[in-house]
Amino acid sequence: MLEFARKMQVSRRCKKGLLPERVCRYVSLFDHPLRRDTPLDEVRFVIFDTETSGFDLASDRILSIGAVAMKGSKIDIADSFEVLLRQEAIGGKEAISVHGILKRELVEGLDEDEAICRFLDYLGNGVIVAHHADFDIGMVGKVLSRRYGMKLFNEALDTASFAKRLEKGPYYNLAHKSGEYRLDNLCARYGIRLHDRHTSSGDAYLTAQLFQRLLAVGRKAGIDTVGKLLLK
Amino acid sequence: MQTTTPSNTIVERVAVDLGKYPPFDRLGADKNREIAASLLVEYHEEGEMLFRKGDELGGFSYMVMKGAVRLFDTIDGEEMLVDLCDEGDLFGVRAIFGTSTYLLSAQVVEESLLLAIPVETIKALVQSEPVVAAFFTGAIARSVQHIEHSLSEAIDLRKSGSDAGIRSLLANDALVVDQVRNVITCAPDIPIREAARIMSDNNIGSIIVASANRHPLGIITDTDLRKKVVAVAGPVNERPVSDIMTSPVYTITAGKTVADMMMLMVRAKLRHFCITEDGTANSPVTGIISEHDIVTSEGVNPAVLMKAITQSESVEQLVQEREKAEKLLRMYIAQEVAIHFITSIFTELNDALIVKAIEFSVADMKREGIELPAVEFCWLSLGSEGRKEQLLRTDQDNAILFRDPPDEVSRDSVQRAFLELGKRVSAILVACGFTPCPAEIMASNPDWCQPLSGWMSYFRKWIGTPEPKALMNSTIFFDFRPVFGSTSLALEMKREINAEIERGRGFLQFFAKNALQNPPPLGFFRNFLVEKSREHAHEFDIKARAMMPLSDAARVLACEFGVNDFLGTVERFRRIGQLLPSFRELSEEAAQAYEFLMRLRTERGLAENSSGRYIDPEHLNKMQRQELRNLFTTIGQIQSMLNLRYQLDYIRA
Repeated sequence: MLEFARKMQVSRRCKKGLLPERVCRYVSLFDHPLRRDTPLDEVRFVIFDTETSGFDLASDRILSIGAVAMKGSKIDIADSFEVLLRQEAIGGKEAISVHGILKRELVEGLDEDEAICRFLDYLGNGVIVAHHADFDIGMVGKVLSRRYGMKLFNEALDTASFAKRLEKGPYYNLAHKSGEYRLDNLCARYGIRLHDRHTSSGDAYLTAQLFQRLLAVGRKAGIDTVGKLLLK
Repeated sequence: MQTTTPSNTIVERVAVDLGKYPPFDRLGADKNREIAASLLVEYHEEGEMLFRKGDELGGFSYMVMKGAVRLFDTIDGEEMLVDLCDEGDLFGVRAIFGTSTYLLSAQVVEESLLLAIPVETIKALVQSEPVVAAFFTGAIARSVQHIEHSLSEAIDLRKSGSDAGIRSLLANDALVVDQVRNVITCAPDIPIREAARIMSDNNIGSIIVASANRHPLGIITDTDLRKKVVAVAGPVNERPVSDIMTSPVYTITAGKTVADMMMLMVRAKLRHFCITEDGTANSPVTGIISEHDIVTSEGVNPAVLMKAITQSESVEQLVQEREKAEKLLRMYIAQEVAIHFITSIFTELNDALIVKAIEFSVADMKREGIELPAVEFCWLSLGSEGRKEQLLRTDQDNAILFRDPPDEVSRDSVQRAFLELGKRVSAILVACGFTPCPAEIMASNPDWCQPLSGWMSYFRKWIGTPEPKALMNSTIFFDFRPVFGSTSLALEMKREINAEIERGRGFLQFFAKNALQNPPPLGFFRNFLVEKSREHAHEFDIKARAMMPLSDAARVLACEFGVNDFLGTVERFRRIGQLLPSFRELSEEAAQAYEFLMRLRTERGLAENSSGRYIDPEHLNKMQRQELRNLFTTIGQIQSMLNLRYQLDYIRA
């Protein structure tokens, strides 16, 4: 209900012309919610990953966003996305060495505003899939709230939790063994070759391949609709 | 909705994967990125059906990135495996050129990652990229240069007079073995110029760079001097040798067999190996082995082997020499020596062995008071040995032919004496590793130890009143070849047989029909028909399905043209190509195909210590699979040519 109220509020601001047209186009896609009994084969999933200057939602910034879409269980290479952001205020230096993004590249990137709008265009009303999704969704949400006073409206699934749920059941306590569900470890476990790690696109593509396998495991457990996948 | 271009990183990743396999390995990186941007990546679990026979054609063809997919046909409710696709294989290509439905079903046999390629993408490529068009029309094998190269080499050898060429090689005693030498080493800090001087003073092609306690640090070869010194601008002569040496050097222990060294050379892709006390680089150098030493080693040199066989003094020694010959075969196969050359050498060696076995047997019989009758006779090799194609020691097929004695009484005693000879020789051959023929087609069997009149009555029956089953079993006799004794007697029989065939032309039709008993699996990408029998399930019978159709066809044509020489399959095809110019191109293809098959079979046989006739498609590399697939087209063409030539459709019951 809260979700619905928030959506109404944003829609109202759109009608008043307070938000850019591209953002409103994104918002309007959620006028009709995704039906719970939609078969998974008909769903467009958007698997994405962000690179950030650090892990603090408040002070760190997004440096790049990489994404690839899946139509049901098939990864559609044409429907992929990559954007580099120009960030003036860059936090800790560590992230830069991890991601291998050079300062020069960051200078050549797009303005945050333009980048996030392009991402919304691309994302549409697809179901978001990400590894440790809360963080990436949080980072994007931070930008949206700072600039437009809104959040993402998409349904979302975290591959780490989904893997845990399939392997151990929903009540397994991850707290002491979180390493087991790191992307590297899951890829190794499901026989996925690691490539292009620590670039947002590379990690998104790996996450997509992981999600393919998890979907196959889930199908055997009877998970064949959006409702069953998202536990709604 | 798409307002941006796809992710470069992801497209690049997929393009790299795609570009590893034909035909995409022949395209530029840009082109592959363009293709990659149109693909879907699919993951499927074991057991999933991708499409079924009779389904409407889909919009995609698939390339296996990981896992395996089987394609099968369903005939009368029974599944027949047609192809097994693994990494790098394309399937579902019917969707590109076909018009209605799938002819085969596709099922995932182990979890698979597939690239789904839109049919439109491939159609556009076939239009714009000749390489892709060639791939999809199956012409790729013909452009594989190394095959053409080895062929032209073989032809050159043949032109120079094959027999003479090989005999001179066999008779060449000059191939002396280069035994362990005093290894010359140098210190790592001496100037390159100094090392070069040592090498030239000692006339050596390589020098080991060693520490003060003679532990090997590296090696410098002529090639290093050429590439790293002479070809480099500026004065490098005065720099220390350690700057240009190849390090570390591959070290081994002493006492490696030549077969071991051959394998090592092929595997390590190196030409020099350093022998040290304990086989590691942490002990003193004791020797060096170069490629040249390996190739010219004693005991695996045909000249030495030939001499050892002809000078053997006992059966035991003969057995030992034949074991050594096996090593030579391994070495030749590993080195990809032209198959024509290998078969010539081995025919010589095997023939020499048979001659020696006959000599031993005759001498033994004499000692026991059994004199061989003073009647002209000839020892015949049959089947693959008769066609000079026996590389692996498979079954022995042989026979004895002798001149008809003047009367019935002496005929019996003469046959008894030759039978005794046949038994003894056959036993020696068994000791040398040639297993007895299960159908007992051997000179030790009275049926196949016959005077000329006896043999001719067999042949007259086969030719005059051909009967399919009897004919099928008699083909190996048509491949007889004299190995010992009176060649003119064998030639006399050959001429009589050809005259007989000339008289009753109906025979050729039956003979040709027999050659079509084993139609090869045909069609696009569905060329593997694996065996159903339990013992060889999932394997492909290369002998029955690929070699026999060719050797049978060559035999029929050789019979039609009354070829009197004792030829092998490859020689027959080339001879027929000369006699029948319109057939030249196809017969040349058939000859090459047969050589390829002989090599493949020998390779498998040596690797598995078997007859090599059953091939697991999974054990073939990409090139071999492609070659096999193309060669089925050739077999198909040969068979339709036979069909047309002998109007077989009329007599097909």
